[in-house]
Amino acid sequence: MTVRLFYDLIALVIFALVIVFGVPALMGFDGFELNTFARYLALGIVSLALALSWGGAGLLNLGQAATFGMGSYAMAMHLKLKASGGTLPDFMGWNNVPELPLIWVPFHSLGVTLLAGLLVPAFVGGLIATFMFRARIAGVFVAIISLAFLVAFQLVVIEQQGITGGQNGLTGLAPLTLFGWSVDTYSVGFYYLVAGCLMLAITLGLYLTHSKFGLILRAIREDADRTRFFGYDVASYQTVIFCISAALAGWSGMLYTLVLQFASPTYMSVSFSLAIVIWCAVGGRDSVIAAAIGAILVNLLEGRLSDVFAEGWSLMLGVIFVLVVMFIPRGLHGLIGDLWHVLSNGSRKEGHPSNKSDMQSKPVETRQEN
Amino acid sequence: MKRRKFLGGIGAVGTASALSAPALLSTLSRASAQGSDIPVGLLFSLTGSVAVVESTLHDAALMAIEEINAAGGVHGRQLRPIIEDPASDPATYADRSRRLMIRDKCVSVFGSYTSASRQAVLPVTEQRKNLYWYPTLYEGRECSRNVMYGGAVPNQQQDELIPWAIENFGPRFYMIGNNYVYPKEENNYCKTLLAKHGGEVVHEEYVPLGHSDFSSVINRIRAEEPDVIFGTVVGDSDVAFARQYHAAELDPAKMPTISLTRSEVEVKAIGGEAAAGHLSSAPYFMGTQTPENERFVESYKSRYGGDQVTHFVSEAAYFQVYQFKAALEKLDPANITPEAIRDAAVGLTMAAPQGEVLIDENLHTHLWPKIGQWQSNGQAEVVLQSQERVAPLPYAAYEGQRCTGQGLVQG
Amino acid sequence: MDVILNQLFAGLSMASILLIIALGLAIIYGAMGVINLAHGEFVMLGAYAAWAMQTHAGFSIIVALPFVFVAVGAVGWIIERVIVQRLYHRPLDTILATWGIGIVLQQLVRLSVGAESRFVKGPEMLSGNTQIGGLFMSNYRIFLIAFSLAVLMATWALLTRTEFGMKLRAVIQNRQISECYGIEAKHVYSITFAYGAGLAGIAGALITPLFSTVPTMGTGLVVDAFLVVIVGGLGSLIGTAAASALIGEATALFSLLMNDTLGRIAVLAGIIVLIRFRPRGLFPSNTGR
Repeated sequence: MTVRLFYDLIALVIFALVIVFGVPALMGFDGFELNTFARYLALGIVSLALALSWGGAGLLNLGQAATFGMGSYAMAMHLKLKASGGTLPDFMGWNNVPELPLIWVPFHSLGVTLLAGLLVPAFVGGLIATFMFRARIAGVFVAIISLAFLVAFQLVVIEQQGITGGQNGLTGLAPLTLFGWSVDTYSVGFYYLVAGCLMLAITLGLYLTHSKFGLILRAIREDADRTRFFGYDVASYQTVIFCISAALAGWSGMLYTLVLQFASPTYMSVSFSLAIVIWCAVGGRDSVIAAAIGAILVNLLEGRLSDVFAEGWSLMLGVIFVLVVMFIPRGLHGLIGDLWHVLSNGSRKEGHPSNKSDMQSKPVETRQEN
Repeated sequence: MKRRKFLGGIGAVGTASALSAPALLSTLSRASAQGSDIPVGLLFSLTGSVAVVESTLHDAALMAIEEINAAGGVHGRQLRPIIEDPASDPATYADRSRRLMIRDKCVSVFGSYTSASRQAVLPVTEQRKNLYWYPTLYEGRECSRNVMYGGAVPNQQQDELIPWAIENFGPRFYMIGNNYVYPKEENNYCKTLLAKHGGEVVHEEYVPLGHSDFSSVINRIRAEEPDVIFGTVVGDSDVAFARQYHAAELDPAKMPTISLTRSEVEVKAIGGEAAAGHLSSAPYFMGTQTPENERFVESYKSRYGGDQVTHFVSEAAYFQVYQFKAALEKLDPANITPEAIRDAAVGLTMAAPQGEVLIDENLHTHLWPKIGQWQSNGQAEVVLQSQERVAPLPYAAYEGQRCTGQGLVQG
Repeated sequence: MDVILNQLFAGLSMASILLIIALGLAIIYGAMGVINLAHGEFVMLGAYAAWAMQTHAGFSIIVALPFVFVAVGAVGWIIERVIVQRLYHRPLDTILATWGIGIVLQQLVRLSVGAESRFVKGPEMLSGNTQIGGLFMSNYRIFLIAFSLAVLMATWALLTRTEFGMKLRAVIQNRQISECYGIEAKHVYSITFAYGAGLAGIAGALITPLFSTVPTMGTGLVVDAFLVVIVGGLGSLIGTAAASALIGEATALFSLLMNDTLGRIAVLAGIIVLIRFRPRGLFPSNTGR
């Protein structure tokens, strides 16, 4: 067990305690407050998904919102069918769609929906990944292609009003019935469902990060060519992490639909996708826990700021983002890491080679910033 | 390690915390007002793409609340407006509406311009049995028992308009709208009317929301030479379309745009020269000659500036607050709940700036449709005024469905 | 036939607008590798500057252009010095920082001037249409096409015929060696960023008679401008021009065959494929970046 894994596990336990006991207690187990916090937790999953591909492998996926949207629409389709009770969903009638489109039919089943919400984003992510990484596209171009794909995808969803509900999205959804339990989105039980999913996602993320797979990804992030010379199939590794990241984003989307009770093409907008990047950056893209915390903190802050400053909250958020990017590029995780150094090294001079924790808990400095 | 960088990081965090400290330190749940005032929510976007219109709705509703408070409030209690900015984003709408209805315990919430935002708010409104006052014209086909609809539905805007347009300009209609449900529904209804009155659709097309370059559309219009351009483009698209129409030197006397969405706000941005000659169908124009309107416009201008305009959605936002007050006055002060307010509001008449309006049992509003022709001074001259108040039929285009006091009824 | 000709002209007009908006971005990205997501907001600032000058000083758009260039250029210069300069070694972080700057600029304009759409009048002498047979060409759009080409030529002249241009090209090729020769790279970068911002400002001022002037007008433009720059190829003015022409005409033709939405989707798909097979764009420059 490396030092870093140890610290991560400690952080995971503390985080779990806070989320499972601390927060509900602080909110007096009130369903509404917990529902708001559940939204933050759901967004934490997509933020950590981005951290896996960006911090872990150096692939900035600006189109993360597209895979998020796929998951949210999958869940919404299932719930819409449930609400329509066997008849054609209302918006299809209004769009003169004669019968249920084939793509909707499988979503009657919850099992298919859950699988689709994970596998469809993974599949599409895999297609894009293969498309990009076989040609050794890297760095900025990954960002651009994923962004172009996002814009195109959102346009397609909006265009196909008969299938997706168009600009208004899918509204009027029934509550989810999970193994006989009717999920009330304002209940404490629902909060624990989302919290449990987040914990599971973080555990998965930690496992990936600390496995050999994660190590190779970091090697690819630092120098893809050198890793290739070692004999590793770089494109495959990149594709796999891209798919896993997409699946996690889809999972996050499904939970988000449950929290907000509708799905909208705004979930696939450029601003939302960039917001995910910002949460990940604020938390720290090198750590999945930090990325999740980043999402929770920023959304919490946004909620509080808009409460106090109805007119100027957007401006303040913009200023804060710029400050964070300029001065704390490794996010809060990086800042805490540096703080730990200052405390444990005292006044040691720069460049002193001896400290063991230096080597293990900080990322190697030689790589180019990405 | 780099001390300077670290200090910079601490500095940034410090600044960020200082900026956000007051927000973070405030208690998580606000106490609800008991007894002394009545909390109402204002949920109009002040930032983002629809802020252009929604900020005027916010202004009008707030002005109404202030007027009511200045006159002594309701039952001796003041109205306390709780303002949220949903930033033109449906997910934020959903989140803020929950805050208003659940945490802040508002007895009513006034909000929304787009249908997307209204539908995002609908689940929590219906689940918490709250009351949402929606001032905007929309496509109909909704019959919620928890929403008060203050804007026109298709039958109110088009029943008199279409035959008049065919008679005055001709039967060939070119339909241009943004790509979402409102224009599509309006066009669907228009097509049923055209079929009835002998009109025809020359072309029907939809552009993405926010789309600005209409060269292709203008080219097609020039080629097709329709009699009427039936416009349901909104906001920035409408402004761009009107300006490019004018730049193309097409003639509004022969081929006018008849818009369901163009109001004084868009006309101000289009410019009087480009807007002149085109028409809009709406229940209210700023130049409406009623004593209530003169008061409304004067107060609005003195409160917000002499160059401000009122329009058919801000007028509705304004009179809906007064309808809310009137409903409240009918209630027992100790028992103010959103559903009681709704029941008290049914059948209420009110002298609105456009004329006397009536709340139907289906919670929509009986209005006075008008057709106005825009002049180069930015105001509309009414060319057709309906002789009687028109009842709202949100399901007019759908045989066998009616919105009644018991909700949606089939058959 | 008429319809096709009119549509070709429409495509050319769209291309010229894309070109003038993307040119500033191309220069900034080509010179410094900075992905400036605040570029749309520079366009918006130019539009508002033109409005302000028209409303308060009575200047027509044409007369206001030099002032707009200087004003928005100054804003760009300040932003570069204070923020962007620190991020040159972190290219992906510039995305986030400039996105944040964009939000800040948008909110500042909204808070100070208001969210409503502003009316800016086009120049009188450019109103009207020129008709050749069945082809109708808006005079203002002809002017825009000519102007964008003029700006392109001016930028080319700046890069190749002036001393500053030479310094810039040297710094693009190899920053360290240029500094050894005594060229102040930081200074060059600042001026370049300011120039790119100024161009964006001019673009904003010029498009106001056609489009709606709102604080949020920039967000939609920046993605398109970006794609033009990438397709055209880094550091290549001809590439940017070619990409604008290609994308503008493709959008117009697709919209003729299908509708505007499908047209845009088709163009985006085309761009994705193009970047996949030619990631360095249509006309990549040969400087080693």
